[in-house]
Amino acid sequence: MKAELANIFIRSAVEVFRKELDISLIRKDLVRKDTTLPSKPTAIIIGLTGCFRGQIVYSIDGVFAENITKAMLSEVPNADKATNSIKQVASAINAKLINSAVSEIANMITGQASIHLAGSYGKLYLTNPMVVSAPEMSLDFLAVPTISLSLLSEFGILEINIAIVEGGSVCTQG
Amino acid sequence: MHTGIIVDDAMVMRMRLSEILKDFDIIATGENGAEAISLYEMYKPDFITLDISMPEQNGLEALEHIVKNYPDAKVVIVSAAGQKQIVFDALELGAKDFIVKPFENDRVLKAIHRLFA
Repeated sequence: MKAELANIFIRSAVEVFRKELDISLIRKDLVRKDTTLPSKPTAIIIGLTGCFRGQIVYSIDGVFAENITKAMLSEVPNADKATNSIKQVASAINAKLINSAVSEIANMITGQASIHLAGSYGKLYLTNPMVVSAPEMSLDFLAVPTISLSLLSEFGILEINIAIVEGGSVCTQG
Repeated sequence: MHTGIIVDDAMVMRMRLSEILKDFDIIATGENGAEAISLYEMYKPDFITLDISMPEQNGLEALEHIVKNYPDAKVVIVSAAGQKQIVFDALELGAKDFIVKPFENDRVLKAIHRLFA
């Protein structure tokens, strides 16, 4: 089960990075930890309920976050003819925009994983992503068995900490 | 020109959808389900795109409210929550289409054009 879970998240992250950002991700490490506490300064926390429950914590460094934002904005069609407002915002990438972009990528990866998991186990619900930065990190993480994946890209390392367990008896095993 | 509203809690996604749909008249954007309802009632647009996972009121609740009060509403869901059961629920509630994130820009454009074909 643990290996299956890790594989689902790896596959989902690879899919989302390829489709949304047009970059490759390569699996680097997989380790077991006893907390979801991330190792990078920017973390995106998503809770899961339903047929799986727990927490997924994505973490990246600041340069990675900025690059994700730029790559998402470059997906705007006819970027050379983009409206002035887009150009102005894109040229002054700010914290709110970066939080929005990294939250959305984390949401897409978790969404893809939930599609794969729901196919076998039943409905899952995702909480809205919450972005936290290094100074405020201490309180939001679970002290539970966690699979920690490191995936390598040209932007740097994406860490995914997965601490979820199968949920309620109403869920059907496929 | 057809009028539209885009509702998504992610600023980057609102920007991207606005740009993809710039041949339409995007008259407002919102960040949550409650704003979706109030903007829809204020502007009565020709279409609205809704994310599902949003704070305050989620997109499915907003969809249900809008379609109940405006049965001819053209609502397109654009969400990462693409589980079959959630897609089914959205279509049953009255969504005209369901676009799963990540998406190709063309997928969005075609879905909106199809509303008026």
